[in-house]
Amino acid sequence: MSSPSEPYLLVDAAGQPTRDAPWIFRTYAGHSSPRASNALYRDGLERGQTGLSIAFDLPTQCGYSSDAAIAGPEVGKVGVPINSLDDFHVLFDGIPLEQMNTSMTINGTAMWLLALYVALARERGVPEASLRGTIQNDIVKEYLARGTYIFPPEHSLRLIAETYEYCVDHLPEWNPSNVCSYHLQEAGATPVQEVGFALATAVGLLDLVRARGRIDVAAFGRCVGRLSFFVNSGIRFVEELCKMRAFAELWDQLTRDRYGITSAKLRRFRYGVQVNSLGLTEAQPENNAWRILLETLGVTLSRKARCRALQLPAWNEAMSLPRPWDQQWALRLQQILAYETDLLEYPDLFDGNPVIAAKTEAIVAGARAELEQIVAMGGVQAAVDAGYMKQALVRSMTDRMTRIGSGAQVVVGVNQWTDGLPSPLTTGADGGMFQLDPAFVDEALAGLAATRRRRDPARVAATLAALAAAARAGDNLMEPSIACALARVTTGEWADALRAVFGEYRAVTGVDGQVLDLGAARAAELRARVEAFVARRGRRPRLVIGKPGLDGHSNGAEVIAVAARQAGWDVVYAGIRLTPDAIAVSAVEEDADLIGMSILSGSHLALTEQLVAALAARGGADIPVVIGGIVPKPDVAALEAMGVRAVFTPSDFELGQVVERMLDVVDGARP
Amino acid sequence: MTDAGAVAAARQGDKRAIARLVTVFEDLRPSAAPRRSAIAAALADRPIGRVVGVTGAPGVGKSTLVGAVATALVAAGEPRVAVVAVDPSSPLTGGALLGDRTRVRFPSDDARLYFRSQASGGQAGGVAAATHQVCRVLARLFSTVLVETVGVGQGEIDVVRIADATWLVVQPHGGDAVQFLKAGLMEVPDGFVVSKGDLGAAVGATVGALVAAVGLLGGARPVLTTSAVTGAGVAALAAAIATGPRGGLAAKEPYFFERWVGEEYGRAGLRRLAALAPSTAAYLAAAGGLDAAHAAFAAGAPAW
Repeated sequence: MSSPSEPYLLVDAAGQPTRDAPWIFRTYAGHSSPRASNALYRDGLERGQTGLSIAFDLPTQCGYSSDAAIAGPEVGKVGVPINSLDDFHVLFDGIPLEQMNTSMTINGTAMWLLALYVALARERGVPEASLRGTIQNDIVKEYLARGTYIFPPEHSLRLIAETYEYCVDHLPEWNPSNVCSYHLQEAGATPVQEVGFALATAVGLLDLVRARGRIDVAAFGRCVGRLSFFVNSGIRFVEELCKMRAFAELWDQLTRDRYGITSAKLRRFRYGVQVNSLGLTEAQPENNAWRILLETLGVTLSRKARCRALQLPAWNEAMSLPRPWDQQWALRLQQILAYETDLLEYPDLFDGNPVIAAKTEAIVAGARAELEQIVAMGGVQAAVDAGYMKQALVRSMTDRMTRIGSGAQVVVGVNQWTDGLPSPLTTGADGGMFQLDPAFVDEALAGLAATRRRRDPARVAATLAALAAAARAGDNLMEPSIACALARVTTGEWADALRAVFGEYRAVTGVDGQVLDLGAARAAELRARVEAFVARRGRRPRLVIGKPGLDGHSNGAEVIAVAARQAGWDVVYAGIRLTPDAIAVSAVEEDADLIGMSILSGSHLALTEQLVAALAARGGADIPVVIGGIVPKPDVAALEAMGVRAVFTPSDFELGQVVERMLDVVDGARP
Repeated sequence: MTDAGAVAAARQGDKRAIARLVTVFEDLRPSAAPRRSAIAAALADRPIGRVVGVTGAPGVGKSTLVGAVATALVAAGEPRVAVVAVDPSSPLTGGALLGDRTRVRFPSDDARLYFRSQASGGQAGGVAAATHQVCRVLARLFSTVLVETVGVGQGEIDVVRIADATWLVVQPHGGDAVQFLKAGLMEVPDGFVVSKGDLGAAVGATVGALVAAVGLLGGARPVLTTSAVTGAGVAALAAAIATGPRGGLAAKEPYFFERWVGEEYGRAGLRRLAALAPSTAAYLAAAGGLDAAHAAFAAGAPAW
């Protein structure tokens, strides 16, 4: 109860003025090796971080050990490689699990990483019930946007449901999944799509857990209460604030009406945030610091819809992985907001505001319609299978690119006020960028070899056989996975055992039927050049486009494919998760005029080198190559030295120009 | 690489050379006819392979099935298999997005398998104007050529004009069979495949309906069931294809020549063709083959 004279104060149960405890401060981190990442976490905790957020490398995310052929260039790049329980002992060395709140960004192999965490607790003698944290464990957005799926949907969903069924008994304070709207926004989703698709995903998951009937009603209620969300916050922070209020309102209604949850506490919308990376720019990168601050407001200002945990990207994320100083700078923003400002001293600031109420209601109505549409299609799984959400996302993304290209959407430093002074932040010896030390990768491989040497092969074989048998029998796979972890089974072995039972998934693409507006005059100009090519060569210019390696962020490649088609090219879309050799084979078989490779994982040098070698081996050395992705400036020259004809980075946002430069390459290649 | 050099390398299975030859056959300008003619002549000593059409509505799983069948064919001893996958071109921009490769992954070092995407170029009917041309060269280099059409609706199965045998793929519950029956096209395919055979009871019902419809029309045409998930039925389909007819491609040339004349020169062109020879086959023979006929007809066409 507020005191009548000061109704604006936040008071505690006894009516005394109080302030809220801050959200959990996290920093998304991990790279190179378990030992290097352990040092990173200990430093972060010392600097005032209050939770861990673990980034895994792509082989770990996709279920490969570090010594697998396809893992090669990706080991330790975008996160830490984890091959076995031995690696977890190093990763958490000196970090008390019972005091931690640990978030693990892991999906295809989420059950395995949770099993490793539980096994680590058992070997350390820490009670399982004391473990607190989150595994992301949301497979739907992997099919839609992020690409680190392994198994077909029904088997992936089974694994997620089984983590719920295990956690509700054994890890009551663990969030068995973080349903993600984050990646939907990164893929171009509007607020309405973001809320609608994420709720459809959550409903699909809870419907499944309930339908399986493995837990009783009370336990199901606790499952509902443990489902949390992982949300994105963009630069339009007023709209984002309303989006979060809409999310909370809809979740409260859904859990009450659809699942009959009576406890308000179990119906509470709980979410963590990483603010938007999509809008961060490579041009004038220092401006990103302000963008990150403003994006933070959307998920902190309104008490009613405030996040439970927050991680901020670093200002230089569009250029490279952050350096420790960059991460410290981001953490300081959270600390200043929570402890220096008066934000946490007030009740909700927006209740009763007609603008906020109306905007929130509009998002609620739109998202509800989107949710109902998906439910009517047969649920989120059917909508994924039909390509409905994927196509909606590609459409939203191409709309966004069209608006930025035409200047209708202002991006400071990118399409307005592009002349800036050189930034002192990027003039240091390292160019403001993080450099991986390749020695750490050797260390990860040595660790894996040592584990393989030391372990008991009979126990490994027996636990893997038990895992496969349980998978076939339909039994919960958590305990068998923990047994595998304790036996020092590797990440690749665990995933392979299940691949043999479940099979592997290949995604539908979102490129079919998409239209992109390059601007009428621009499109006509490009098409005239293409027609001139046709008249000269007797066919349309042929672009083979694909993504090598394990990075599954396919939207960039898809947007370029759609743009080139719009300009009159024949575009062969080869798909994702390809070896460079497979892309070379496609280009040779299709008699390509140009190869486009999209790489966002930071492995562009190694993968391009492999492509160039594969092309030479297959008689395609004369086929020109262009690369798109997050490529730091110094690497552009290195790629050009390998023979790459053009490199497109996030600063090449004008798609007409990208297509034009590709035509320049093709016209110059073979007259 | 000269065309003669490409022919020599293609005979050895060099995929770059094969791809270059396919490109020559995709170039439909009369000015390219002499090159096609020379290449066709240089390969004329080789037997003509089997051309198999695979058609069906969008989303029935044609690409996945074709990929699996190609792999099963070589595993069962078929010497060399090529796939031509046709996707639609945009009528507005002329460009195309060819996505079938995402669903077909051959072992990259298997020289026995070749995959080529092709844009429909605005042709209705499920295949491109160049599909027949491309089959001419591929059938001399591969023992079997599988042609996967654009996902078509009823009434658009032009692939039967190219193929020695055509399979219609339907999915359980699809209703496609009923539509084809209504359109009077159930007589056209040489065999039927019910895809997604792991979908349970609906599969049996669809197979039953097809068998009944086929029986009604008389004749004995196979109705097979396949599953891309389990691989069931794929080997049986491959075996049916491998024992099917072959070598009929050359006999299709008069039809495609007439079609080309009709598209390029309209009814006046067709009247002129009829006046020039007693039959189209005779015109082709007199001209010295399909490519020479293209060049000759184009050269002699009245300017208008």
